[in-house]
Amino acid sequence: MKSSPLRLILSVLVVCVVAAAGLAATYAVTAPEIAAQEKAAEADALRGVLPDAATFEPVDDAVLIAAQELAGDSKVDAIFRALDTSGKQIGWGVKVGSRGYGGYINLVLGLDRDGKVSGATILTMNETPGLGTRIQTEPSFLEQYLGLPAGFTEKDVKALDMISGATKSSRGVRNSVVVTSIVFDQVLKDAGEVR
Amino acid sequence: MREWIRVFKAGLSVENPLTILMIGLCATLAVSTQVQGAMFMGVAVIFVLVMSNTLISAFRKVIPSEVRIPVFIVIIASFVTIVDLFMKAFFPPIYAVLGIWIPLIVVNCIILGRAEAFAYHNSVWLSTADGLGMGVGYSIVLVVLAFLREFFGSGRIEFFGQAILKMPAGYAGPTILMMFPGAFILFGLIIALMRWLNERSSTRKAA
Repeated sequence: MKSSPLRLILSVLVVCVVAAAGLAATYAVTAPEIAAQEKAAEADALRGVLPDAATFEPVDDAVLIAAQELAGDSKVDAIFRALDTSGKQIGWGVKVGSRGYGGYINLVLGLDRDGKVSGATILTMNETPGLGTRIQTEPSFLEQYLGLPAGFTEKDVKALDMISGATKSSRGVRNSVVVTSIVFDQVLKDAGEVR
Repeated sequence: MREWIRVFKAGLSVENPLTILMIGLCATLAVSTQVQGAMFMGVAVIFVLVMSNTLISAFRKVIPSEVRIPVFIVIIASFVTIVDLFMKAFFPPIYAVLGIWIPLIVVNCIILGRAEAFAYHNSVWLSTADGLGMGVGYSIVLVVLAFLREFFGSGRIEFFGQAILKMPAGYAGPTILMMFPGAFILFGLIIALMRWLNERSSTRKAA
């Protein structure tokens, strides 16, 4: 049985309109929830790396852009000023990502006012489970960055241990830490951010 | 009802989408690194398969055969997007594990294959059975594969960050199980086992 062209067009059109309406309804229900989840995950990560901070506020766009220009292969997604309850700045939270084995490994790093790493958390990653994910499941790997001295450089970071069998994943984290140190040294320190 | 049960059981055994029809393998190998992720993937596939089979079967008489494929894809993609949004909103840790594989259910050949081969030619009642049977059959094999890979590959089974089953300390599993070659080898063994079971039950029936 052959159908007329009009019937073909109409049937596809009707299906698409009904489908679009259904999706719009679903989206309306889930969108606020999704946004809230993302915000909560980010806030949790920031609080985790800077436990003493009470509030976080994003830095000026100019500062962020200057930082992004320094990032090279890595990316700096956001920089937050961490303030304590009295409104005094106690450090920065930096959302930074570098390529690992399976795309970007996104981290949140906390820096205190001297530029010492106060905490590091992996936000999202796509590393091989059981291999690359050991950068997260072996806490000693991320913890060793907390021991870096104030004003650390790339050389200090490279002296730290990597996880054997997860070289690329380890390197992804390492590159992010290096970029953060460069950003601190060249942007945050000079940007008059310290109040 | 007997026909319904027969169609449902076919999806689990003699027409199992993974071990017999061997469709939808790509996502299977990718998401079977964790039992937790595999279970949610199974639930997502069951939902999409049952809904799309039922709906396509219900409208099979008004969907012109010339445009049936685009219509199927729009219907399937809509259900997948619904699952995708809901998972993102209410189960973010799971979504972080499954990621791209949820939207890719759209192009999973199990769903389109069942729409074309079964739902378009059969009653709503039987199409639902087919969707459910295929979905459950898929999920069982997926979870078994994920269990073997996670337990023997990484030495522990984790649910929401809690280890519920652990190998003795000091166990260093063959990491190849967590990677694709290991998945292929294990999957081959599962296929062999399924064949053997199916063959044994059919010779028993004959005898």
